Amino acid sequence: MGQLSGWKRERDDIVRGACGGFLFGIPLLYTMEVWWIGAWIGPPRLLVALVLTFGVVFLLNRTAGFRSTRDVRVEDALRDSVEAIALGTICSLLMLVLLREITPQTALGEALGKVVFEGVPFTMGVALANLLLRTDSDEGTSQDPDQDNQDALNVTLADLGFTAIGAVFIAFNIAPTDEIPMLAAATSPPWLLLIVLASLLISYGIVFEADFADQKKRARQQGLFQQPLSETVFSYLVSLAIAAAMLWFFDRLAFDDPWQLWLSHTLLLGLPATIGGAAGRLVV
Amino acid sequence: MNAPKRTLAEQVSFGLCVAILAGLVGLVLYDWVASDGKAAVLAVAPAGAVRSAGGQFYVPFAVENRGGQTAEAVRVEAELRSAQGSREFAEQEIDFLAGGEKETGVFVFERDPRQGQLRLRVSGYKVP
Repeated sequence: MGQLSGWKRERDDIVRGACGGFLFGIPLLYTMEVWWIGAWIGPPRLLVALVLTFGVVFLLNRTAGFRSTRDVRVEDALRDSVEAIALGTICSLLMLVLLREITPQTALGEALGKVVFEGVPFTMGVALANLLLRTDSDEGTSQDPDQDNQDALNVTLADLGFTAIGAVFIAFNIAPTDEIPMLAAATSPPWLLLIVLASLLISYGIVFEADFADQKKRARQQGLFQQPLSETVFSYLVSLAIAAAMLWFFDRLAFDDPWQLWLSHTLLLGLPATIGGAAGRLVV
Repeated sequence: MNAPKRTLAEQVSFGLCVAILAGLVGLVLYDWVASDGKAAVLAVAPAGAVRSAGGQFYVPFAVENRGGQTAEAVRVEAELRSAQGSREFAEQEIDFLAGGEKETGVFVFERDPRQGQLRLRVSGYKVP
């Protein structure tokens, strides 16, 4: 195997792992009790959490994992577990910084507590990446070519539907809670722009980069919004609409609220909704 | 079972991951040693200039936990005594204040704090 393809495969593996982490970790990220637990939990409990996570992830890596190669030897599973925890921790840290739950003013102990506790589902998501959304590259699930070129409108509608279902699935759980207003209170326009960017990147990564199921089929589809970039943007807009609708549905936003409130709340709920929408489209 | 040779890319990312994990555990251990047994020590002080708008006066403050353990529901009080002897009170509650953490807030008064004597104090907290 050439040096270059080795790096590419490694990058794909890591992106796949990170996407699995986001899919699994995002719902707990929008749970303020976990931020509070992070604020007062002591270092001994953090170490116990890390050891337990390592144990669970090791068992998951024996069967699932995030690498395209299906090594299940003990040594590989151990190495993958170290990588899964590191990847889960980095993803959790990035999201907590993005959501302003960790700032330069946050004390070390509190930041560590938040990162480790929020990192647990992220790490499990990394280890479950292949199991959550199995790769098709080595399973020979070749599609009927006629199937790929089915009516563009049908394909687009199917994508739209599954994006909406995935977005509702996630946003429905988060919209009625107090986390969105709390996060909105701590954010500012530059951070909202970063959240838009992160939403688009993660959504693109899950659908087009992580080599999950049906990815090759997706790239061949001819629907109206089937170019990777246009599909990512389009599905983001759909997810934002779903997020706004959910917030209105649960009476978290009213029509006479200022537009800034609609904007910040919708963009904040849009992040998990987009991830749900991306997962939904992979199911198509 | 054959053991495929690891690529350079795999070696590099594994090395980075080991460093991240070691750094994480190291920080937790450091925090353990640094904060061990130190109770919360709370201090509050004005933090910035008084601002007036709409007939009200806004006094920014910062409360800091200089100890090790986290304090929950930290209550901060402000008392404004005017030259004429009248008193005005304001209070705030901070959800959590971890060791070394600093939070800021604002007290709102109807009278100008610059014309009187302002006293800030922490009145208590819960042990989480």
